[in-house]
Amino acid sequence: MSKLLNRDAAISAGFFLLIGLAWEYGVRWSGVQSYLLPPPSAILAELWQSRGPILSQSLVTLTEVFWGFLIAVALGVPIAALIYFSRTAKRTVYPLFVALQSIPKIGLAPLIVVWCGYGLASKLIMAFLFAFFPIIIATLGGLASTPAHLEEHFRALRASPMQSFWRLRVPAALPSFLDGCKVAMPLAVIGAVVGEFVGSNDGLGNLILTASGSGHTTLTFAALIAVTILSLLLFYGVAYWERFIWWRAA
Amino acid sequence: MKSVISLSGAGKLFGGRQVLQDVSAEIGAAEFVSILGPSGCGKSTLLRLIAGLVAFEQGSIRFGGVEVAAPSPEMGFVFQTSNLLPWLNVRDNLLLGVDLDPQGQRPDEAALAALVETLGLTGFEASYPAELSGGMRHRVAIGQALARGPQVLLMDEPFGALDALTRDRLNMELLRIWQRDRKTVLLVTHSISEAVLLSDRVLVMSERPGTIIEDVHIDLPRPRDPSTTREDPAFGDYVVRLSKLMGVS
Repeated sequence: MSKLLNRDAAISAGFFLLIGLAWEYGVRWSGVQSYLLPPPSAILAELWQSRGPILSQSLVTLTEVFWGFLIAVALGVPIAALIYFSRTAKRTVYPLFVALQSIPKIGLAPLIVVWCGYGLASKLIMAFLFAFFPIIIATLGGLASTPAHLEEHFRALRASPMQSFWRLRVPAALPSFLDGCKVAMPLAVIGAVVGEFVGSNDGLGNLILTASGSGHTTLTFAALIAVTILSLLLFYGVAYWERFIWWRAA
Repeated sequence: MKSVISLSGAGKLFGGRQVLQDVSAEIGAAEFVSILGPSGCGKSTLLRLIAGLVAFEQGSIRFGGVEVAAPSPEMGFVFQTSNLLPWLNVRDNLLLGVDLDPQGQRPDEAALAALVETLGLTGFEASYPAELSGGMRHRVAIGQALARGPQVLLMDEPFGALDALTRDRLNMELLRIWQRDRKTVLLVTHSISEAVLLSDRVLVMSERPGTIIEDVHIDLPRPRDPSTTREDPAFGDYVVRLSKLMGVS
């Protein structure tokens, strides 16, 4: 078993190593200018050299994503519960959010920068906007997926509406809610970076923009890699919580 | 015998369609009564009416002399699906009914261990439903209904989805518990032999709109056992009689 796992890991590692080598030597031999496509070795060197600014800019973006995502959860979950329990909310709030979701959020970015300035607030709002809707939909789906036979069972046990909510619907909705968070987290990163593109003084998006603007392609790539790593880390940070809801398959 | 549950002229409509019509019966304390009927005859609905889970329009159903309006803590309901919460272990599932009841008192360790022992679940207290076999899940479901110490056990085809061997074993355990605790049991089933094996009386229902067409007393000696009771010629006679009533043969 572990031998097989090792072999699988070796195959994966070999595959990516092969791509890296092809890129490295393809660039070198074909004579492509490094300001167009730098070789991986140069990008890695840049990552190391500029680790200071890259880390500090990552921290800026991380802060924006963190708060944007947190607010998306803090508002999305109660709104989903409201839509689930209230017919009126289902007829009013829900279509409103569906309509808002249909507005291209990238198009909203300039407006939000105008309203909220170049600082944290506008980026936080962009991250929030990207993460908000998937969380509402996933929470709603989770609440609605509570098995009817268990609801009847709770009635037979004379559970109060509060008990049915906290002890049945919430745990039943958690797996779907977590799936929503897994979708929403990388979207929040995209939202923050888009916000930084449109108007900012710092952050990884700002770094990408200024580096490419000054023809510093290796730094652009290094910043892109930093965004990707940040997004992956945040994704696995969410996925980590799956171990606490082991009943998802049951 | 003093009747615990009494139905008189009970009827139920679903969307203008009569599903139960003029159901009358008396169920005495500590009696084991089965409701037997073809599928779709409304027998599960009838059990839900008695449990106070489904409202009805016609007639009356009384439990302990009081009109049934809502589920009572004195009635334990065992559903067709074992209905365990996948995020609770066996112990917490057993005690769910007690925990949800504001006045509920968790039984002491000895009483809990005795219940777990009776159900043949010793050693599985910390297991989760996904780790249990189908038969064990049904034991937990029965245990959950018993843990609250109800006077009446209402069971809706609780063993329908199990294989014959597991079903026989659970039937025996049910009989043992019933004989020991002297609870009133009302069991809905579509298995004629299960009804004869377990019951003091079998109420036979008609096709929809369901009503009770026959009240058959099963005068087989107790304690009963699947292997020996089925050998009894009288057992075969009851099965034939009930089959005829249900229009099977």
